[in-house]
Amino acid sequence: MRQDERVQVYRGCVIPLDLLYDVERDVWIRLEGEEATLGMTDPAQTRAGKLVAIRFKRPGTVVERGRALATIESGKWVGPFPAPFGCEILETNEAGFARDILLANRDPYGEGWLVRVRPLFREQLTELVSGEEAFQRYRERIDELGLNCFRCAE
Amino acid sequence: MRIRVVDLGLVSPVRSQTVYHAVGYAFHPQSPPTILLVSPTDPYVSIGFHQDAQREVDLDYCRSVGLPVIRREVGGGAVYLDHNQVFTQWIFPRELVPLRVEDRFAWYVRPLIETYRRWGIDASWRPINDIHVRGRKIGGTGAASIGDAEILVGSLMLDFDTKQMARVLKVASEKMRDKVYQSLEEYMTTMRRELGTMPDRDQVVHTYLEQVSAVLGAELELGALTSEEEALAAELDERFASEEWLYQKGGLRESGIKIHADVRLHEAALKVPGGLIRVIVRTHGGRIDDVSFSGDFTLLPALGLAAIEQAVRGLSLKREEIAERIRQAYRALGLQSPGVAPDDFATAILHAVEPAR
Repeated sequence: MRQDERVQVYRGCVIPLDLLYDVERDVWIRLEGEEATLGMTDPAQTRAGKLVAIRFKRPGTVVERGRALATIESGKWVGPFPAPFGCEILETNEAGFARDILLANRDPYGEGWLVRVRPLFREQLTELVSGEEAFQRYRERIDELGLNCFRCAE
Repeated sequence: MRIRVVDLGLVSPVRSQTVYHAVGYAFHPQSPPTILLVSPTDPYVSIGFHQDAQREVDLDYCRSVGLPVIRREVGGGAVYLDHNQVFTQWIFPRELVPLRVEDRFAWYVRPLIETYRRWGIDASWRPINDIHVRGRKIGGTGAASIGDAEILVGSLMLDFDTKQMARVLKVASEKMRDKVYQSLEEYMTTMRRELGTMPDRDQVVHTYLEQVSAVLGAELELGALTSEEEALAAELDERFASEEWLYQKGGLRESGIKIHADVRLHEAALKVPGGLIRVIVRTHGGRIDDVSFSGDFTLLPALGLAAIEQAVRGLSLKREEIAERIRQAYRALGLQSPGVAPDDFATAILHAVEPAR
């Protein structure tokens, strides 16, 4: 699904270099013209653990930066999948997660994408960071957390 | 670290849920880490954030006996709650809680486990979020990120009404309800059951607070809610009691009724030429723990059904292995079932458990 397969890996955590990131909110972003695809990063899916449920906001919904585009549940933890910028939801991966609830745990940057959105404020996009910079920041965080990323194999 | 402890005693069912949400939504950088202790005056059913109320709970029954059904913003399944549990609700700033969800539960359950141990109950953490006593669950826990706070909830399980728990769930048959009840009896426990007598709430709470202080190395300060938190809780009382909140669409969820971390109950029905095969399967650690078939098909001799049920116990969920055992039972007992093949029973079992694998 991704064209550029260059990645950096640290303690098992994969950070593709061709994506943009909101490291604070643990979201990856692929910008494609006026639209963007968003998903959970590898460290995010590892921290959360196996998903058991997900509920998406409807396409057409406008979501402010930091508010939930979807809510996810794993091991009885419920939390938001936060918007890295103000946006309108165009499409969700509800069908994919209906087939396999572990999609983001198995393939966080590919099949496990969560939503496609239209960014509403271009200036908010400048706060996202590149794959290289995200990798540097994640290295520190991963060390701090003592995290080792793993994917669901079953 | 200083922790504000608010013991609210008995509050209305809805308030026993809204209060920790309110403290979470009101949380700001100056808010103290807070532990709420609360029990409901009257029983109610609490459902998980992503559950579909109509699919999971017998709403007609709950309405007929005046039992409120209240959605929480925390995960997990439907549970029947009453004044015999003391909810231990933690509302903490993000930087004070472990970041990995699994670590967070391990950290949160320690004072609960230590409390049970002080009372002579051999409790331990069963990852991800159960507390077990020799294979029986003595309460689960849940977590959520709400506003700027991280929330962890669980309870001190003085006692638990397994009969009512099994009654409020929506199940396809009364037979399934019996299985849920039996499984809860078999796989759950409470302080009352372990001690042989009902412990005193205040004494248990006292032990718990001592353990919180020791485990976290924290100074506890008895406090009250702020007026902002009170006002927010009152607002949420209305929202949580609304039909719109209760009937919101469930998310995508895994199947089966979870009894505890290792034990699930599943049911399915399979239409075959000889009739309808209904099956209830209990799995324990991924193996068949118990199976019960019913339906309108014919199997001769009739005792064959019990033999088939017996034959598959303990097997892992592999179709061929299950089918072969059932074929063996057919051969050994000369079983006959017009329009129902031995393999159909295996298919029914797999249908029941499949979405959860």
